[in-house]
Amino acid sequence: MGMQGDFYQLLKEQGYQLGSSAAAGHGQEMTNATTILAFKYRDGVLVAGDRRATAGNMVMYDRTDKVLEIDRYSVMAIAGVPATAYEMVRVLEHSFKYYRRTQLQELSFEGKLRAVSKLLKENVAAALAGTGAVVPVFAGYDFEQGMAKIFFYDILGAEFEGVEYAVSGSGSPTIRGILHYINTWGERPLVALTEEEATIQALRLLTSAAEFDSATGGVNREANLYPIIKLITQDGVRVVPDDRLKPLFESKVVRHV
Amino acid sequence: MYEEPYRWVEAVGNRRTYLDEQFKQGSPVVAIAYDGGIVLATISKGTPKLYEIYDRIALGGMGHPADLEKLRFSLLEMSHTEGFNRSPSDVTGARLVKYGVAPAIKQAFEEVYKAPFIVKILLAELGQKPAKDVLLTINYDGTFEETTGCVVIAATSAVQKEMMTYIRHETSSNLSLGQAVATALLAWALGDRAQRLASADSERSNDTETAGSKVSPTDTAALSAYLREYIAEKTVECAVLDRNQPGSSKYRALASDELRRLLPAGLQAALVS
Repeated sequence: MGMQGDFYQLLKEQGYQLGSSAAAGHGQEMTNATTILAFKYRDGVLVAGDRRATAGNMVMYDRTDKVLEIDRYSVMAIAGVPATAYEMVRVLEHSFKYYRRTQLQELSFEGKLRAVSKLLKENVAAALAGTGAVVPVFAGYDFEQGMAKIFFYDILGAEFEGVEYAVSGSGSPTIRGILHYINTWGERPLVALTEEEATIQALRLLTSAAEFDSATGGVNREANLYPIIKLITQDGVRVVPDDRLKPLFESKVVRHV
Repeated sequence: MYEEPYRWVEAVGNRRTYLDEQFKQGSPVVAIAYDGGIVLATISKGTPKLYEIYDRIALGGMGHPADLEKLRFSLLEMSHTEGFNRSPSDVTGARLVKYGVAPAIKQAFEEVYKAPFIVKILLAELGQKPAKDVLLTINYDGTFEETTGCVVIAATSAVQKEMMTYIRHETSSNLSLGQAVATALLAWALGDRAQRLASADSERSNDTETAGSKVSPTDTAALSAYLREYIAEKTVECAVLDRNQPGSSKYRALASDELRRLLPAGLQAALVS
């Protein structure tokens, strides 16, 4: 009941159901057309995502924010069916707030992770039917351990910790290799990068993903359109503003031959 | 027992006497708008009396902790399901009060076979613009009032009136947070003192009708002194709905060191005990 501070339970008691109760069966394979990434840098975790939303070959929208703040200390980057993903984020956002306000304490980081996989598990039928698969990356600050952490999931809700980095979406195979390479043989591992260096890497990685994946939107300088990059540190979630990304992109990402 | 109407009226009357008695020792709660939002303040002995309800709504309560808890939960349930099913901007203090808790409190009050809620409730709602700020109070019988600027709940309406007069007299339109907190605490002192005097008077009134203790000074020094004396071993509780706070949740409880920094020197001394 309400006394446990479980908002999702409360919603279900009122007849709420996450997504449609699709029957598992012959669903078509839905691609997770996007690129999201997260990696640890010196001060915490950087989470980034491109801004393109597609439906098949069509570009639906070029200003999507796929790196969604759930509360002051956690974000969920979403790949997969946006309708379900946004709904999950809404449920999580209200669940964490409800827990904090009823129980008069913050939900633990472990508790937040459980809430994410619980929602993904509830969504398995829709995911298998091909109408609601969501493959998120969840990152947040764990106060008990005093560090920011990254977790990624499969569509069935299995949870894996991305100790150094995690990626998801159709553009992710490209950059997964790059992340592995720079983390292993780069001058310094990712975790040693400063905020600025990490931001530059994120811009380069997303630009590479856009190079090889049609569903990933790159930087569009004419439209003043840059990826979403958010930083999670002990002080909470912070958005890197466009006017900071713009000079970094121009001086460190564009190749001046 | 109560099947005849006049008996019922009598029973409700008894209930009022009973409830008034319950609040005599209660700690008043004050809410004042300042230039960056709304501040709520009270002094509590153990159980907290100020709570976060929703993104822009805060609760202050007087009365029985278990009853307050029950109503707090229904407020939380209502606001969160409404905020999820519709949108956070559809969660308003007025709707929560008028269609939510006030009818429930009134019903419990009038069902003379059952126990009433021993609570007085204050809801503060931070509007998108300062002009849209709303302060609401609900009495134990379900009567609610809506106002702006400042509001209090205290044992009796006479004490409430006295506190409101004090606040209105002491404050101008653009208060800083520090000024608002200081005024709120001094108003609390005024209210708490008035309640003590009233209950002392009523005990004596059997003997003499002329209890002339109305002449207590209401200057800052006297009230600070009262505060110093009476908040030993109690907790000063202060919370703000801060318009400038990043993110959607605007509620923040003021930590004791922040509180100390905000207050003028005379009151700081009262807190360091």
